[in-house]
Amino acid sequence: MSVAPSPQRHRPGLAAGLQPKSVPLAWRNLLANKPRLFRSASGIGFSVLLMLMQLGFEQAFFDSSLEVIRGLDGDILVQSIHKYQFATRDPFPRAVLDTAGKVPGVTSVRPLYVDWFDFFWKNPFDGKVFLVRAFGFDPDQPVFSFPEVNANREKLKDANTVLIDRRARRFLGMDRDPAEAELNDSKVKIAGSFALGPDFQSDGTVIMSDRTFASLLRGPAGNLSEVDLGVIEVSSGEDVAAVRQALSKALPNTVAIFTKPQLIEFERKFQADVSSAGPIFWMGTIVGFVVGMLISYQVTYTDLADQLPQYATLKAIGYRTGYLLRVVLEQAACNALAGWVPAWLVSIVLYYFIGRLALLPLRMSVNVTLVSLGLTVGMCLISAVFAVKRVIQADPAEVF
Amino acid sequence: MCAAMVAERAEAPAAAKAASSQPVVVVEGLNHYYGEGEARNQVLFDNRIEIPAGQLVVMTGPSGAGKTTLLTLIGALRSRQEGRIQVLGRDLSRLGGGGLVEVRRDIGFIFQMHNLFEALSAYENVKMAAQLGDMPAAEMRQRGCGILERLGLGHRIDYKPRHLSGGERQRVAIGRALVNQPRLVLADEPTAALDKDSTINVIKLLKQQTVEHGAAVMMVTHDHRIIDSADRLVHMVDGRIMSDVVLHDALRICEFLRPIELFKALTPRQLTDVAERMTKRHFADGETIIREGEPGEEFFLISEGEVDVIRADHEVARLGPGDFFGEVALISGEPRNATVVAIGELDTYVLGKTDFQTALATSQSFRDQLYRVYFMRH
Repeated sequence: MSVAPSPQRHRPGLAAGLQPKSVPLAWRNLLANKPRLFRSASGIGFSVLLMLMQLGFEQAFFDSSLEVIRGLDGDILVQSIHKYQFATRDPFPRAVLDTAGKVPGVTSVRPLYVDWFDFFWKNPFDGKVFLVRAFGFDPDQPVFSFPEVNANREKLKDANTVLIDRRARRFLGMDRDPAEAELNDSKVKIAGSFALGPDFQSDGTVIMSDRTFASLLRGPAGNLSEVDLGVIEVSSGEDVAAVRQALSKALPNTVAIFTKPQLIEFERKFQADVSSAGPIFWMGTIVGFVVGMLISYQVTYTDLADQLPQYATLKAIGYRTGYLLRVVLEQAACNALAGWVPAWLVSIVLYYFIGRLALLPLRMSVNVTLVSLGLTVGMCLISAVFAVKRVIQADPAEVF
Repeated sequence: MCAAMVAERAEAPAAAKAASSQPVVVVEGLNHYYGEGEARNQVLFDNRIEIPAGQLVVMTGPSGAGKTTLLTLIGALRSRQEGRIQVLGRDLSRLGGGGLVEVRRDIGFIFQMHNLFEALSAYENVKMAAQLGDMPAAEMRQRGCGILERLGLGHRIDYKPRHLSGGERQRVAIGRALVNQPRLVLADEPTAALDKDSTINVIKLLKQQTVEHGAAVMMVTHDHRIIDSADRLVHMVDGRIMSDVVLHDALRICEFLRPIELFKALTPRQLTDVAERMTKRHFADGETIIREGEPGEEFFLISEGEVDVIRADHEVARLGPGDFFGEVALISGEPRNATVVAIGELDTYVLGKTDFQTALATSQSFRDQLYRVYFMRH
């Protein structure tokens, strides 16, 4: 004779914890010991701060190098096929742009002259000489969308007249509103300023007419037969991709043709994958991630060790390993949030001050927010998976 | 705070009655070992026990006797190695890990250590067990609070364990074990941390589980306050069940034995020892219990019903409750000198030859009495 088995009961699965009738064990565990919560949030928050700094610097690095491209007033950009990053001098014949101007759908083609390595700026206040980046364009054919540059286009038509970057590094003296300065040993008149800021390759920027550019670079007889970038505007209503396709067919294969977003992506890819900057920042982020994992592991492991008999009791009374795993992972995710939120807030403040100090466009973006949140939750969950082994192996018979 | 006490289910006694005829636990030929290879050590030896519904079983025995191991095997907390264990109708040897978990959900566990989550209130700790069932949230609250109130913790429902005394924490753990009204409760020293009043309260509650819900309670304890309330005492020594006594029957046997001339010289302790060795046996109407000329192996004491004693095809006596027979052949070693047949349904208590002779050796006066009875009958 035997007793009939009990009728099958509803068993809480992984989603059962979401039901209001379940005890929010992970949440209760998190809040039970406030000093311990503070310690774990501080430890995890510290590693999150490390990651946020790296991610912020990386983004600032990219943004600063892309700021000029974003400021170009054109739909399609033409450059030498050999130019692998924006900050390299690799000009191509201006005649190519004449051909481009004849392609249907093209409204205007404007040349831009750029140099990173041949313009020497003498600080008008202390006489020290520094290398600066120089842009030259035809004032009648504006290439920038910076309002202050366009407002002063007429003034640039005067010989040896330039606009300077008031957000340039301070040692250049551009922020002190000088009236005159020396560029490549020639006196230049300063007609105004604009706000661009330095990047990791140049400390400051000077914008001038194409004629001044040629004169200062190559002497009075300097010519403008070679350009660094062609800025093309597509007629309103025309498909940019189609016009780009037409330009590809019309222009020699010595030049590369990009839409503006394509050139930004091309430049970003170079910075992230080819230059040493991308890996450096990612290594820094990984170090923060590993430090966070170790801290999170210690936090979770200690908590589980303290409550091992309780978890073994849960196994004894009929909870499945999946439930215990879910509770531990939930708690790890809560720990991640408890560390991430204050670190995120602190980093906004740090971004502001460091950005001002280093003249970098450090700002909290959605991208940095989401990546840092994902990394933080990920590191806590991974460490919890390692730590939870102890609970899984807990023998419920040992509680008797 | 909670509302009223748990509403008792009207159908519970009926269900308990229906289930009472079926064993909740069946253990047969159970052996168990710890360690492997040369370090392998047998801790349980051929244990057999059957526990019906509605019984409060107390297990006693010295440390290391195997009580806890037996409890954990019945509780599906360890894997069975040799022998058969059937719990609540399910053969544990046929179940995998998931099946064992399912069985555990139908058992109420009370551990020596309360193992409560410090982060949860008393009610939430109880709810951790309640939410394993299929109760609606409102019933869970009502039942969880009700069990705590019955345990004298109505004013501590929202307290965290650190604000409870040791006894209160243990009572919360007991509430956690009983909230689902399990049909089997396994407990290891459940009252070790309790004061006198709390112990009485807990015993009443456990007893109530057996009477009202037909639950079987199996507990390891050395607390005499619980032993006094037990229905059955199981004593283990060195991995073996040395005695298994249903106390109600033992008392009844003692009541029967005491007025009999043959047993008058026995001390209460000796009388209890004899009673503990007797097992209950039922005979149908007309069934022959012993047959003239066969060797004698057992001594019989009539509990309920009557028998005819027949010698050479003639009825020589009719015996009723409290009478005994079968002792002569055990003393003399000769074959049975009469046939005994049940008249109607018959319940007897039976003592084996070895145990009878052990009792004989225990007391000189007992032996003298037996020999006198023997020679008087001849």
